[in-house]
Amino acid sequence: MGVGRAGSGSDPGKPSWVSQDWSGTVVLVNTATTERTSSPSAVISAVAVSKSWGSHQVFSDVTADVLPGVTGLLGSNGAGKTTLLGMLLALHAPDSGTLSVLGADPATAGPELRMHIGYAPEHHNLPNDVAAQDLVRHIALVHGLPKREATTRSSDALWLVGLGEERARPVGTMSTGQRQRVKLAQAIAHGPKLILLDEPTDGLDPVQRDDMLALIRRIGTDFGIHVLLSSHLLEEVERIADNVVILSNGTVRASGRIDDLRTGQGGMTAILDSGVELVAASLQRSGYEVAVERNKVSVGTTEPLEQLADALRDAIAENGAPLRRMEPVKQTLEDLFLDEVYGS
Amino acid sequence: MSNTSAEIFDRGYRAYEGPRTGIGTAMRSVGVSTVQRALGLRRKFRFKIVPLLTVAVAYLPAIGFLAVAILLPADLAGQVVPEYAGYFGLINILMVLLAAFVVPEVMGSDRKTGMFGLYLASPLTRWHYLISKFVAIIMVMSLVTMLPVIFQMVGYSFLEIGPDGFVEILKTLGRIIASGFILSIFFGLFGMAASTFTDRQLFASAAIVILIVASEAFTSTLVDQANAPDWIRIFGLLTMPANLIARVFGETGVDAVRIEGLSDLGSLGVWVGFCAVFVGLITVGYRRLEVTK
Repeated sequence: MGVGRAGSGSDPGKPSWVSQDWSGTVVLVNTATTERTSSPSAVISAVAVSKSWGSHQVFSDVTADVLPGVTGLLGSNGAGKTTLLGMLLALHAPDSGTLSVLGADPATAGPELRMHIGYAPEHHNLPNDVAAQDLVRHIALVHGLPKREATTRSSDALWLVGLGEERARPVGTMSTGQRQRVKLAQAIAHGPKLILLDEPTDGLDPVQRDDMLALIRRIGTDFGIHVLLSSHLLEEVERIADNVVILSNGTVRASGRIDDLRTGQGGMTAILDSGVELVAASLQRSGYEVAVERNKVSVGTTEPLEQLADALRDAIAENGAPLRRMEPVKQTLEDLFLDEVYGS
Repeated sequence: MSNTSAEIFDRGYRAYEGPRTGIGTAMRSVGVSTVQRALGLRRKFRFKIVPLLTVAVAYLPAIGFLAVAILLPADLAGQVVPEYAGYFGLINILMVLLAAFVVPEVMGSDRKTGMFGLYLASPLTRWHYLISKFVAIIMVMSLVTMLPVIFQMVGYSFLEIGPDGFVEILKTLGRIIASGFILSIFFGLFGMAASTFTDRQLFASAAIVILIVASEAFTSTLVDQANAPDWIRIFGLLTMPANLIARVFGETGVDAVRIEGLSDLGSLGVWVGFCAVFVGLITVGYRRLEVTK
């Protein structure tokens, strides 16, 4: 199971769970009749997780999988991203439901699990009078690295994030961009399997942001560390993430591979050499919403992609229109986010 | 073919699959970092002033007493130089400095700088963290509460005005260590409790000094001016541990801070009670402390 759309808050008539296997076949599953379970390949799984702070419900019946690779945790400010990161680190327990991180339950395997997780918090505060290498080494030691390894790896991590020459400088003398890099270095120095980055580009100028995103992408691809990147910026998640989890109003509105989520959700298009109007008319007669732009026919629908593809193919064949290309519409992450969160 | 061996020094960042040490090492690392921070080590000079001055001042009387003892004949020196419980009277005052200026620095700064959150994102729990901090603070305080008095005892022994015989030396050493722990634990927990509820070092320092001065002034006024019973002085935050130390050394002289109407066991009970209250406050404060929300 690769793609999921959580049902809380969705239209009653729509299926509350959509999944798509790797061959592209779309399967509709109604969560009312099907037990929700986590994917065996998931790095992080949440099943029916709820969490409240006093009377404020942060999460309600959240179910989602975070797949291997770089994953963006998207949501507006206050959507509960930081609370979710805290729950993954076992700093807060869910009120109900189950969580699994790297195959372990944070509630029972907390300290052992956290040994393999790196965390870079959102805030910019770090001890001002401590040298970057001392700080990174200290955090590596606290994560269980032997002294010698902690020393060499803290240096390696600082070189990797571009602070090799600056490693002896006190953190307080560093710019915001450098501090963000120190936070990243301390998160990876102990060789984690998963890192949780809370708004890692906050406060950075565009150039620094590009560098930081490239660095995070490199960490996720070259070193095989799974990355969960919390952000409210769609563009940066779209640039570097393989997967996304979209949070809104205490629910997961969508989760899975970005490419899969973007594909097919907005219908299909066909590019024809001729007969565009005839094909469009046929589809309109069948009740589809059709848009024509020069030699391209776009068809929107709420029905399964497979069914729409059949209808489009039949319309083309029926009118003998020469077909150049037929493909699912790919939405931008912004379209997807707006669609999922605001339903527009 | 060359016999020269080659070694790669810069292997770059790579995955780590080696062994990991346990919670004990993590706690020790927090403890070492706390001791360094408390003593201003690896920090600018201004951070070293209070701790190093306090430690230095703690040793000065011992050096002075030994100098007097060297200059005077042994039988006269034995009568002039103070006993160990008297020395703890000075140390008691110095502990106020450490509790008010060093403990808030090592406790509050972790919350203010976000280090507390980073620690909790590691294998450490908040209880591991607090124990590490407590042990580190006790170690720093022991530099002031135990070592100068042990130094004094060793000096006295060489000058033949100290404890007589191996057993007496051990007994005196035991009393010094017990008294050191009485002061270190009491003021360590007091400083930690006061620092639990504010990240601002100045507020915590002020609260500690005000509470100590106010408790002493209030209890003294009650006893001396309002004829309240002497045991009221047990609520003086300097008098209470000094009373227990006087009992550890069995001293009853005019200089001994001994509260009348209170047994040895009662004195210990009050000390334990105060410490329990401080532990309770720390527990409540840190249990409520949210790192990510």
